[in-house]
Amino acid sequence: METKIDTQIPWICDKCHQALVAQKVKVRYLEGNFEVDLLKCPTCHMVFISEDLALGKMLEVEKGLEDK
Amino acid sequence: MDLDKLLELGNQCIHLEPPVCVASCPIHMDVIAFVSNIEKGDFASAYKIMENKMPFSRLIGKICDHPCESMCVRKDAGGSIRISELEKTVIDLGYSAPKKPLLLPKTKGNVAVIGGGLSGSVAAVELDKKGYKVTLYEKTNRLGGSLWNYEGKELERSVIEEELLVIEKKGISICYNTEVLEEDLHNYIEKYDALYLGTGTWSKAYRINPDTFQVEKLSLFIGGKIQCHTHSVMDSISSAKRAAISIDRYITKTSMTASREREGIFESKLNYTIDTVKPIDTVVKASHLYSNEEAINEAKRCLKCQCDACIKACVHMQRFSITPDRYIRSIAHNERIVLGNRSANTMINSCTECGLCKVVCPVGIGMADIIHTTRESMVERGKMPLSAHDFALKDMQFSQSDSFSLLRPQPSKEQSKNLFYYPVIAFSAYARGLYKGSGKTGYLFYPGCQLSATHTEYIGEIYKHLVGVIKDKDADNDVGLYLGCCGAPADWAGRLDLMPESIEKIRKVWEEMGEPTFILACSSCASTFEKYLPMIKTISLWEVLDKYGLPTTDIKKGKRVLSIHDACASRHNTVVHESIRSIVKTLGYSIEELEYSKEKAKCCGYGGLVSCANPEQAEEFAKDRIHESEQDILVYCAMCKDAIVKSNKRAFHILDLIYGTQNASQKMPTLSERQNNRKQLKRQLLKEIWNEEEGHAMNTRYDFTLHMSDEITAIMEKRFIMVSDIEKVVDHSLSHQERFFNPDTLDFLARLRLQNVTYWVRYEEKGSDITVKDVYSHRMEVVEG
Repeated sequence: METKIDTQIPWICDKCHQALVAQKVKVRYLEGNFEVDLLKCPTCHMVFISEDLALGKMLEVEKGLEDK
Repeated sequence: MDLDKLLELGNQCIHLEPPVCVASCPIHMDVIAFVSNIEKGDFASAYKIMENKMPFSRLIGKICDHPCESMCVRKDAGGSIRISELEKTVIDLGYSAPKKPLLLPKTKGNVAVIGGGLSGSVAAVELDKKGYKVTLYEKTNRLGGSLWNYEGKELERSVIEEELLVIEKKGISICYNTEVLEEDLHNYIEKYDALYLGTGTWSKAYRINPDTFQVEKLSLFIGGKIQCHTHSVMDSISSAKRAAISIDRYITKTSMTASREREGIFESKLNYTIDTVKPIDTVVKASHLYSNEEAINEAKRCLKCQCDACIKACVHMQRFSITPDRYIRSIAHNERIVLGNRSANTMINSCTECGLCKVVCPVGIGMADIIHTTRESMVERGKMPLSAHDFALKDMQFSQSDSFSLLRPQPSKEQSKNLFYYPVIAFSAYARGLYKGSGKTGYLFYPGCQLSATHTEYIGEIYKHLVGVIKDKDADNDVGLYLGCCGAPADWAGRLDLMPESIEKIRKVWEEMGEPTFILACSSCASTFEKYLPMIKTISLWEVLDKYGLPTTDIKKGKRVLSIHDACASRHNTVVHESIRSIVKTLGYSIEELEYSKEKAKCCGYGGLVSCANPEQAEEFAKDRIHESEQDILVYCAMCKDAIVKSNKRAFHILDLIYGTQNASQKMPTLSERQNNRKQLKRQLLKEIWNEEEGHAMNTRYDFTLHMSDEITAIMEKRFIMVSDIEKVVDHSLSHQERFFNPDTLDFLARLRLQNVTYWVRYEEKGSDITVKDVYSHRMEVVEG
């Protein structure tokens, strides 16, 4: 699952007050395991998924895996 | 799944069955393609279609004896299509001189053709095309035979000469002025690999095989007038073409008969009816031939007969542009894939399993059962897309849980004694019914999950009415109540693994209650009961109301006209059809029947969980349905009303009419409201009828208040996100401070994974007021840490 993420986003981690950083994150669905660059809080590691990503590329990959 | 058996069934589909004109044409000219090209004004392409099957088409097209026309389906709707006249015009407007033939080596064998008339010439060119070295023997000094009878009439001399010259140009040897007689025949038989005899008349009567044109086991083949005994040009050509096929098979030593059943004139399985065809008169030609425009207009009258009954009736097949034969092949392919994409999954989950295709199919092919078995097979092999039915199955689980599920016998006399005093007992049939309580549950009212969720306010009223009218006539049998879900969603989803639990629960209830008759309000419940619980006697609520009487709320004559949208699950239940119509008339409405009604009912789009698996397809079903009538629609299934109302068409559930709420809301509850309504209904009925308070608290209480605009609610519906999901996400984000913050907008964004879905909520927080600004979800799991 290849994605280009927009690193210029205004969101910060509310708990840690940290700006988000792009890092490799593991994602999985059904038989699929991927490592992708996503934005996350460098302290608590909470991962940010935008609406565009969830309903765009992510949904596409989910559907692809469901049809495999 | 037995895929071979399935494919065999697919082969029975007659979508590709030729129309009668083609079947009755001895050489099977593709009339539909021919006429379609004329319609487009493309006469050159129309000529090519003709040329494809018709040798010497520039000549034959002018003198064809058109057996097709007497068979034409248009015959009784304005007159047969004048195919032969169209052929003549196409020759004049679409003929172009053939390219110089490519002379290929003729190595397959030597064949003699005796007789250079029409059939002999056709046999010669056909055999030449197949790669034989052909020698043509003609007793006169010119070819063409009977063709010359048309000279100066239908055919011009120069055209006859020009066309016949083709034979020579192909490299076929012609021996003119050579008469072959019976006594010479054996010489020719010895000299050539095979012989075609097409002299029109012959001195000896040979026994000719009518299918292969072969004489006994000899290398002699006879066609034309000697064989067919008619003066039909087309018979003559057909026999020559077919004899050429036999000669090729004879010389190459292949089967003389295999796959030849449909040569010549045959009977088409297609039985195209003209019930709905508007008559249009034949175009009359202004001069001796159709003009360009006249030909186009005549071609437009052609019905292009093809079996498309199922496609016409079903927007699902239209959307995927597919016919049962190809559909079945796609399913078989989808089932056989080991590695790679199962591209037919979405299609398979977009069928409502409504069964209409089977009703309209002339050979009785029904996709519903096939799709159903396919879905079960997909589930069994772990290949069913998880997202397709997940929401509906979770909703089913909710309805089968204690949140909604409820079973109670009729309130006992002891429980109800405070009703048994004047005037209540005098005016309330319900109170009298309770007074007659026998303690034996003869009937169990089972309203189902969707009616209870969408028409909640009627359930208690109906129950009381049933107690009143049934006990009045049948004092022995009490009426109990059972809230729950029959398991139809699991059945639609192909989840055979979930069915036993649903079914077993109902069967146990039935046994424990002394095997009562179930009164069913939902057509889908009725189907499920019939399929999985055949031991349980059921009766439709509508039949009970029609038979025992309606609540006397709003019965007066002269109300307006309604169109009845029958529930597809009830298509074979004539008792339901009649009961509904009888109730509607009793209430004072008149009925305008839809084209697709009763047995031919069209699905609203909810069936088969299509609204869950492919919402766009479901919308198309509803849109297709509402365009059938100008009138408001009357339904007797809660989900039908939902689908029709969502398509902005006024629809009423029959209970809306019975309870006199003609201005019943045209707004249907949201997915969240439905679950709430079910919970509320259970609580309300327990309190109102059984005087019980529900033990546990209704809903989890949160310290915040959610605010959602209509826009957000619409997004939630579309994305199958419930208010309860949002509450959990917000609550978790507040208690764990797990959320993102946007310093520009001051919004928060939080996520929480609930079972197999991660939900995201963007919100604004003002004290305890949470205003939801966006919601979305994904199934993919993100591993944090």
